[in-house]
Amino acid sequence: MHDQLQEYRLPLGGEARLVAALGQVGWRLAAEAPRAARVRLLDSFDWGAYLAGAVIEEREQGNERWLSWHDLRGVEPPLAQPIAQPPGFPRDLPPGPLKERVLAAVGVRRLLVAVELEVESRTIRLLDDEEKTRARLVIETYRPAGGCGAGSRPEPDQGSSQGPAQGRGEGQETAGLACLFLEPLKGYQADAREVAAWLSDDLALAPAARPLWLDVLGFGPRPAGGYSSKLSYRLDPKQRADSAARQILLGLLDTIEVNIEGARANVDSEFLHDLRVATRRTRAALTQIPGVLPPQVEADFKARFAWLQQVTGPVRDLDVYLLDFDIYQASLPAAMGPDLEPLRAYILAHYGEEQGRLSEALGSASMTELVRDWRQVLEAPTPAESAPANAARPIKGLADERLWRLVRRVRREGQAITRTSAPEELHELRKSCKKLRYLMEFFQSLYPDAAIASAIRLLKTLLDNLGSFQDLAVQAHHLREMAVRMHAQGGADTQTLLAIGALVADLLRRREAARSAFSATFAGFVADDGKALFRELFHGGAPTGLSAALPTEPQVSPGALVDLD
Amino acid sequence: MKVLGIYSIKGGVGKTAAAVNLAYLAAVGGNRTLLWDLDPQAAATYCLRVKPKVKGGGKSLARGRGDLDDLVKATDFQRLDLLPGALSLRNLDVLLDDAKRPTKQLLRLLRPLSEAYDIVFLDCPPSLSLLSENVFRAVDLLLVPTVPTALSARALDQLAGFLDRHQMASDLRVLPFFSMVNPALPTQAGAMERVRASHPHTLSTAIPLAAEVEYMGIHRLPLPAYAPACPAAAAYRALWAEVQGDLMRGPRAG
Repeated sequence: MHDQLQEYRLPLGGEARLVAALGQVGWRLAAEAPRAARVRLLDSFDWGAYLAGAVIEEREQGNERWLSWHDLRGVEPPLAQPIAQPPGFPRDLPPGPLKERVLAAVGVRRLLVAVELEVESRTIRLLDDEEKTRARLVIETYRPAGGCGAGSRPEPDQGSSQGPAQGRGEGQETAGLACLFLEPLKGYQADAREVAAWLSDDLALAPAARPLWLDVLGFGPRPAGGYSSKLSYRLDPKQRADSAARQILLGLLDTIEVNIEGARANVDSEFLHDLRVATRRTRAALTQIPGVLPPQVEADFKARFAWLQQVTGPVRDLDVYLLDFDIYQASLPAAMGPDLEPLRAYILAHYGEEQGRLSEALGSASMTELVRDWRQVLEAPTPAESAPANAARPIKGLADERLWRLVRRVRREGQAITRTSAPEELHELRKSCKKLRYLMEFFQSLYPDAAIASAIRLLKTLLDNLGSFQDLAVQAHHLREMAVRMHAQGGADTQTLLAIGALVADLLRRREAARSAFSATFAGFVADDGKALFRELFHGGAPTGLSAALPTEPQVSPGALVDLD
Repeated sequence: MKVLGIYSIKGGVGKTAAAVNLAYLAAVGGNRTLLWDLDPQAAATYCLRVKPKVKGGGKSLARGRGDLDDLVKATDFQRLDLLPGALSLRNLDVLLDDAKRPTKQLLRLLRPLSEAYDIVFLDCPPSLSLLSENVFRAVDLLLVPTVPTALSARALDQLAGFLDRHQMASDLRVLPFFSMVNPALPTQAGAMERVRASHPHTLSTAIPLAAEVEYMGIHRLPLPAYAPACPAAAAYRALWAEVQGDLMRGPRAG
């Protein structure tokens, strides 16, 4: 149903020539006066819209402000909506299809300015004898606002080193991009085809090879799609273990570093979340890839990252309550939902205080030194003859050994859990599972893709179960404590206390459900095919016909295995 | 997709002006909007400068041949498309009668468009016919322009009676609004009071009788596009805001 917009790239400064040439063809035209606009391309820090194949455009023109969603694959027509103020969180956008689309791509993250541009725009309409528009041509020139770079960080070199630089004509000093959009109109496609033929035959203009929005994005200081908190290390099985560990830890350090400012300023909750996940992964790597760093270095940074994990905890807890608040309310009978509002107010009231402490910690000398010292350790050249025990071993052998050890630990701990086991035992099992998961993700590239992906999936099912059990228990506990404090401070009336009580009961019910589901979930994890899968992956042998069933890569010998059975 | 019918049993009450202006305002507000000109006089089509032609005419429409989407024409305004009216639609009633489930044909035709549009306006011809019944079954909201005269009030009562008799009164939301209001006429105030008393859902915005509205046929543009500052344009904006508010609230209880 969508008639595709045709995009052409013009030589910068070639707009006037195009307009003059159009006037010579003999078409009946209506040319509107050029209008100035300010355009900002928006995206989340982790490029949610870009990765969904789209750009989000905020356009200020006169006293109007519009938000649009442009599908770069050309499958869907653009969505547009007037907005009253600069957009922040997708959840605060006015209701409608645009909000739904942005929410799906960007989620809980804040929309940030990826690039800001000054735009000159003029529309020329092709008319018929009734002065009806038959095709629309929009000529636009984009220049990075402020003359270079974009957004809040001017980085002129980056802006000009990417796509748009090709758009400069000879002798053009300013970076910019001139384009023509030919908009076919429903029911009048033949007219647009005629214009396209003229552009091609008379002006030798061919449609742009890739969406021009990508070139415009290139004016921004951050490379589009350049950040992800997901792990994707490419390791060589023969790589020295210390070099592989450094590679993994450096990647995690990058993630920590790049999220500090956003977490300090609380731009959105995910900066802190990503920082914490990278910290937890760092700590797991430090304990689970042992003997690759000098022991005193290992011990020192274990302690310093434990500090980081601890100081970032309180705000994250509050974030979780706020992010889940609507779900909490929806879990109660409709009449009780509003009674929870004082709880939200209570959480928000404490948020500022905790965020202040967090900002202080992240801006402290301890933090600056932690990042600086850690980078120094990781970037120091790998000594050829390294003292730590595992440093010079090929990583594949060490990975097999450590993973197999964790698999057996998870099995052992899980099998020891009975109906009467204390919650702490499930918590310990969850911690082991998380370590196993992180390790599998670090070392993913050393194993056949399909097999390691199935193993991670299997483990994830178990982790989800353990996670719900633990998180629901912790939340129920904290909410009870909050209710007690709110009551003591006179911040909660009976209605609110009853609503919190109902919420706690619901959380505990769900926790019980997770607890009862544990044995079946664990049985799934240790079932024969799962067992064989983990053995095949990390312990070299396949007692079943699994090798034939899964795509394989040349296997490297598991190396010296310490049998702990 | 929401479907809004602009309907009145009576002619000459400002249906087309309302349909064109409200559809324009919906599109300006960011909604992907379709205006379907169901009137064989094709006045809405004329106002938007589209040629009054429907490929295959009413026959292929009523028989479900071809795709409604193929008949759609873009207007001069972004996000506003038109399904043109044409003289060839004048016998749509008779043709609908031949179809299976003759009162649900419009609903069937509109269904495939639900992904492409947020709002569809139906500019209906003045009558109480099989086509009207199709409209009643297809819309989420029926807007009834009502000139404050005794005869218009009577037409509203006739509509209410018809919907009652055909068990449609509970499913269909009918929102009358005053149209072509002339404060100089002493009879109008009383008529408005009577209509409000018997039709409590009557919208509060009233569209004034104004020469600017009549000029739509000369400019061949929606009123807010050529005279955005005039009181009548402001009234249409207020009316659209009121209708949107009602659409957002969802079905009214009772």
